Amino acid sequence: MSQDYTRFTLSQRLQHIFMFVPFIILVLTGFPIKFPESEFWSVVMSAAGGIEKARIIHRFAAAVMILDFGFHILYLGYNLIKKRPSLAEMHLLPTGRDGKNIIENMKYFLFLSDERPKFHRFSYIEKFDYWAVFWGMFIMAGSGIVLWFPVLFSKYLPGIVIQIAYIAHSDEAMLALLAIIIWHFYNVHFNPRIWPANKVWYKGTLSEEEMEHEHPLELEEIKAREEASK
Amino acid sequence: MPATIYRHSILVLLLVMLTALSAPAQQADAENCNLCHSLAMMGIATPSEGLRSFEVTANAYSHSTHRNVICRDCHTDINVFPHPVEVAKVECSKACHITKPFALTGYSHTEQTDAHAISAHGFNSEYSVEKNQAKPDCKYCHSNTFRNVVNDEALQENSQHCVRCHEGEGLAGVILHVSSHSGHRTAEASINVVELCSSCHADQGHMKQFDVNLTQVGGYERHFHGKALKRGLNEVANCMDCHRNHLNLSAEDPNSSIHPNNIQQTCSANSYCHSGVSSTFAASAIHSEPTTQNNPILFYVEWGFIILTAATMALLFAHIFLDFGRWVGDIWMRRKEK
Repeated sequence: MSQDYTRFTLSQRLQHIFMFVPFIILVLTGFPIKFPESEFWSVVMSAAGGIEKARIIHRFAAAVMILDFGFHILYLGYNLIKKRPSLAEMHLLPTGRDGKNIIENMKYFLFLSDERPKFHRFSYIEKFDYWAVFWGMFIMAGSGIVLWFPVLFSKYLPGIVIQIAYIAHSDEAMLALLAIIIWHFYNVHFNPRIWPANKVWYKGTLSEEEMEHEHPLELEEIKAREEASK
Repeated sequence: MPATIYRHSILVLLLVMLTALSAPAQQADAENCNLCHSLAMMGIATPSEGLRSFEVTANAYSHSTHRNVICRDCHTDINVFPHPVEVAKVECSKACHITKPFALTGYSHTEQTDAHAISAHGFNSEYSVEKNQAKPDCKYCHSNTFRNVVNDEALQENSQHCVRCHEGEGLAGVILHVSSHSGHRTAEASINVVELCSSCHADQGHMKQFDVNLTQVGGYERHFHGKALKRGLNEVANCMDCHRNHLNLSAEDPNSSIHPNNIQQTCSANSYCHSGVSSTFAASAIHSEPTTQNNPILFYVEWGFIILTAATMALLFAHIFLDFGRWVGDIWMRRKEK
């Protein structure tokens, strides 16, 4: 009998939603300023109510995103201390197996092998996405807050920090947007093996078939644990 | 209460302008110069200059800033009728027969022409005649056109820039400045100021003859002020906010608004802009394009991000491409087997 396996708890799914909704709003209200002559972003800017409203919306969305990220750090810390002993046990850290999986996957892609790598709870693709958010949040929130209060920060930091923040905010935004709409969307929507969408972000569960296909090692471990507890 | 002064000044200004609009504008031609100068074919043809029209379109003049100034107030060397073809060029520093609002003194543009004369745009004895002529004179920026303040939202938004420098001059001072600037080309909108300055400063061929950094306009457009202004955020600084309108001086001149000693005060703009800004923030060259010489840190940060983005996207694209290739290959092989 096939059963569903919990992948993301309600809290985790909400954390993802409170990350990507502000992300979309931040892109829509920020890119019109990055590309001030683009017709496409002009339409977006008018829809957002003009630059003066867009600036306020941008800062509000940024605050929500930063709070969500802050919540995740506390959540992670709580889980590390209270529930599980280590990040490795949560399968979040890159390990030797990820290196092995990358080589196996390359062989598979190049028709040198017919076997897809067996992934555990998080594949190297998912680990990359997870830690990329940390890098992105560090750069975007850091530079964004400096640009929000330039006069205040210039009292404690050299003037060039404001200029660096301006470049970092603009360029890292581009990298983040490209990574999301090309890489993340391919892996969860446009990949023909996934198309039209991986529903796990709101359902929170994977079917046994999906588990066998995407996370066979985790499924094996769960089944072994179930056997042992019988 | 700068905002209140601004609002009051606009109200009073509207009354002044409405009165001005209803007054007959024909006074300017009290001496009937348009007897001849209204003729469409009035002009001369010379081998050197080609056709030159001397027609004064009555309607255009009667709606211009100078509609109440009679012709000979500026063309002072005309004393006979008919006058000779060659007359002296008009000097804007000449006092005219109108009085300043709320003052009894005669009006002239000497304050502006004096500032212009010693500015980077003024006459330089070390330059050739052609090089001096390539600099903007009064008329290059001020086209003496009339603008209807009552219906001009762009101008009203732009008025907030005036008080940044002219605060403390009182209500009469604000009205004087807003009313005098209202007729100038530079009073249209902030974005027009940038376009006006760019008409020379973004022209490589034109600027080549002067020892002026050519990246200034490009640098402004890359910077937040330039980008936000293009998107309609009128409160950001345009060229004149930092470089002043007539006293445009090199950063090396101690009297310059952008000299290291004064830049902090300029950025703060009477507390209208970056109030309490630090000297290091003010000193960061916001318009030059970073190079390995003038700003190596920024140069490498910028290239660092370009390389990081290109490398990351190249790897991610390759992964996607190979993944998709395997899926297509599998379908193709399954078909072949059948």
